[in-house]
Amino acid sequence: MSEQLEMDELAYSSRMLDWAPLGKLLLVMALLIVGLCTDSIVVPLITFTIGIILMAYSTNMRIPTILALGIAEAIVIMVIGSGMISIMGNESEPALWDGQLLWFKVHMTVTSFNKAWLIFFRAVAGVTLMLSFASSTPIPHLAQSLRSLRCPKELVELIVLIYRYAFLLLERFLVMLDAAQCRLGYNGPMTAIKSYGGAMAGTFIFSMELAEKSEASLACRNYQGYLPIYRLPRSMSWKWVVFTFALAAVLLYIGWETVGLIDMEHIFAPYFGW
Amino acid sequence: MTQHVLEADHVSFSYSRKGPKVLNDVDLRIGKGVKTAILGANGAGKSTLFGVLNALKKPDEGRVLYQGEPISYKHRDIIRMRSEVSILFQNPNDMLFKPYVEQDVAYGPENLRLPRDEVERRVDDALFAVGMSEFRKSPTMKLSYGQRKRVTLAGVLAMKPQVLIMDEPTAGLDPQMAYEVMEIAEQLHRTGVTVIMSSHDTDLTYSWADEIHVMQHGRCVYSGAPEPFYSDKAAVYLAGLLPPKTFLMNDALSGLGASTREPFPKTQTQMSAKIAANPGGSFGTLYIHKVDADTDLNELVSEHGLGDIRTGIYGLSARRAQDRSLARVDYMYNGPENCTMNCMAGRDALLLCDPLMVDSARNSADFINASGYGDIRVEILN
Amino acid sequence: MSNIFEMRDVSFRHHPGTPTVLDHFDLEIEEGSRSAILGANGAGKTTMFYTLTGVYKPVEGEVLFRGEPLEYTREGLTRVRSDVSVVLQNPDEQMFCSLVEEDVAFGPLNLGIDRDEIEVRIDKALRDVRMSEFRTRPLQQLSGGQRKRVAIAGALAVDPKVLIMDEPTAGLDPQASMEVMELAEKLHLRGVTVLISTHDVDLAYGWADTVNVIRNGRKVFSGTSEEFYGNNEDVHLCGLLSPSTFNMNREISSLRGIPEQPCPRNVCSFLAKFGKGSHRPGRVFCVPYSEGDISSAYEEATRDAGDSARIGVYGSDARFALGGRKVDFYFDGIDSCFTEAVLGRDTVLFYDEIFGSTIREQAETLKAFGSDVVMEVVQ
Repeated sequence: MSEQLEMDELAYSSRMLDWAPLGKLLLVMALLIVGLCTDSIVVPLITFTIGIILMAYSTNMRIPTILALGIAEAIVIMVIGSGMISIMGNESEPALWDGQLLWFKVHMTVTSFNKAWLIFFRAVAGVTLMLSFASSTPIPHLAQSLRSLRCPKELVELIVLIYRYAFLLLERFLVMLDAAQCRLGYNGPMTAIKSYGGAMAGTFIFSMELAEKSEASLACRNYQGYLPIYRLPRSMSWKWVVFTFALAAVLLYIGWETVGLIDMEHIFAPYFGW
Repeated sequence: MTQHVLEADHVSFSYSRKGPKVLNDVDLRIGKGVKTAILGANGAGKSTLFGVLNALKKPDEGRVLYQGEPISYKHRDIIRMRSEVSILFQNPNDMLFKPYVEQDVAYGPENLRLPRDEVERRVDDALFAVGMSEFRKSPTMKLSYGQRKRVTLAGVLAMKPQVLIMDEPTAGLDPQMAYEVMEIAEQLHRTGVTVIMSSHDTDLTYSWADEIHVMQHGRCVYSGAPEPFYSDKAAVYLAGLLPPKTFLMNDALSGLGASTREPFPKTQTQMSAKIAANPGGSFGTLYIHKVDADTDLNELVSEHGLGDIRTGIYGLSARRAQDRSLARVDYMYNGPENCTMNCMAGRDALLLCDPLMVDSARNSADFINASGYGDIRVEILN
Repeated sequence: MSNIFEMRDVSFRHHPGTPTVLDHFDLEIEEGSRSAILGANGAGKTTMFYTLTGVYKPVEGEVLFRGEPLEYTREGLTRVRSDVSVVLQNPDEQMFCSLVEEDVAFGPLNLGIDRDEIEVRIDKALRDVRMSEFRTRPLQQLSGGQRKRVAIAGALAVDPKVLIMDEPTAGLDPQASMEVMELAEKLHLRGVTVLISTHDVDLAYGWADTVNVIRNGRKVFSGTSEEFYGNNEDVHLCGLLSPSTFNMNREISSLRGIPEQPCPRNVCSFLAKFGKGSHRPGRVFCVPYSEGDISSAYEEATRDAGDSARIGVYGSDARFALGGRKVDFYFDGIDSCFTEAVLGRDTVLFYDEIFGSTIREQAETLKAFGSDVVMEVVQ
């Protein structure tokens, strides 16, 4: 129905659901940081591959459209972003391409061109890794790991409740938009804006009413001031830490050794006659 | 040949590309002016079907036809179609867009770009039809569930649709309100609106609907008159439904050899009359008096010298007149049924009735007379 | 029997200055009874339930649980709530966790029950509502009807002595409603006091021992259904209509000039009373089911009863055990099978063992209506 629901469904059907959420988080964060720490393009390529492999494993070799779309979207945005970086090189360096593109003054240098590629690969790898985490870890699991990180209890409870109600409010909001359509709520742009406003207000009122009713029903179920958890999540074992640090060290070493191994300017030079 | 207002022509629909088919090759036609019920268990696809019929959702396969023409899904065509086809959603909270009752009822007509005074008039009429006139200026938030339901019904009525789709119109309502909603549905039918309602309450729809469509796991498994469907017990259970009580009792009694299976009684009164049939007995006269909204009922009753017999009320204008003159009425609900029952018991009865609703009002009496269960004289007074 | 709940002259308003929602309300609920609370929308049914469980504190009067006034302290309320469960009309209002099993465990965890015991209770509660295979699914992926079942499971997991259900069948399709009512009956037979608020008068008529009627926050009636519906004016004032079975009995009895009593409450007793004809009633082959394989019992019973016999089932365990076997009355098995018997046809009725007394009661009732249905219990 909506992306939010689809991501949630994915996370719950993931083969990585049982992995310790904190471990997954640690791994992803470490890979992201390592990717940023080296200037080699090889490292982001490796982390990108790891991200894709994790995603493929998590979704049982069937990467769904929504994830592919997410990555594709990142690629498009990054192409534009790195394109901008690549054409705004240091004026003092010799230019590969100098001139005017639309209303931009283009000054592409070897450094700017290579830097743009590096940023591009880092970004895409980062998005892929984060998507592989998001698509295998439902919010309540994330909340669990936050709990074990000694996050303030109130904050975590809030995250869980927001998560629960987000779906209810979303359901309501979507139905209200349908109802608005039935009553010709989109007959002209001003009407459409008003209808959106009406649906928002309706959802807001609904959330207030729900909160009020929930208070009473929580009491009925003998609520004691915190939301208890029945199935305590798998805690992160030392293996996760060891593995993550070992992997990070290896990647750092590879990054160190491979700086400049892949020179994008060299690869593209024949095609552009640089 | 009957004209069809809405047709689903082999329609399939799913919410996501790989998701299950919520509608699977649904092929049904809704005749103009035919009282139609869409029956099915929770999750059978009734609400989705309505979404498809009103162009909220575009089918993956098949087409939807309105007035014989395929829907084009162009903005302008859709607007035109929706100004004629309205949906009443099951949960009134989904339909309240404005903070005050009158604003909310005016929302639809305003979107139709009607002149101010026409909008005002429609709001007035619609609020009266649902008995919420005195709440005109109230904030919608302060209303109870039942009152909200009435307001949203008024909001839909104010658009004067030619086709009204009601999704579970009586769910969550107390019996009297549920009855009123059914009476409004009947009234709309008599004014020429095609009324379609979804329900899983077979008791309620049995006495009302002429034609039923049964949904089961996204398929339309039956279309037609109710009786053949309910006769197939296995099919009814598979569809997640139960046969109406009246139908079950009639079936069982005919199984005993106490009576023939047909004609099928559809209401409680018809059923009682069939069981206690006594053609030789004495019967009362059913006076059906057509009443306009501004008739003084007290005067009218005394004028005909009918003050001492049981009195029922039926239909919009009769209710408006009763509201104004505060006349004594014995049967505010189920008027036609209760009055007919009195006649069966040999007592005369008076039914104050909206002129449009006379045919509906005499339905049970006609059934009893035609089947030979009794001989009730029906006299229509102007 | 003693009263498990009592309300004495209770008044309640949400805030000072706002109108009273409960107005000098008196109520007695007998332990182990089946009580229905009837009233129109907004009559105060839900508020009354919340006052019973101590969520709302009355501004006047007192609420007694097992003869003792409620103590509005944490310990006092925990004591009440470990014995009393509430199922709300809208399941979304009472679910706070993301997964089915988490939500079912919510109540017991709040009561401080140990985890091994909770495991057993989750299992049992989910089996009772037939949602075991959904145990680890997130709630937002369930349909409305499934959420309702989970809400009921959450209430059952507390192992309550009193179960309060607010409009339990609202929004459910007829078969799901039947299952909920079967469950209510099962709990009643296990000794649980069941309290149901509803405006479905037909449903309440077939089920409740006593009805309490609320109008504008006041209790206007308490007693048997027939006494209440007998007075048309009161029924109308309360926003209700009388059940169709009751009306038809009244009409036909008066047309035929026979006494209104006894009043039939379901189809089979209605037919026993009015189905003229003098043939012999049929037999009901009763097959109680507790656990294990049902095949041999099924074969034997259907052989004994003969090919023409219709087969009915009552109770979720028996229904589950029968699986894909041929069954004519999947729901409402007791009423349907006895209806057949009244009509002179033989039937087989499979039911969860616990319903034995319900079935005997039904047979007794039919005798009172003049139909001597033969019950043969097949072991």
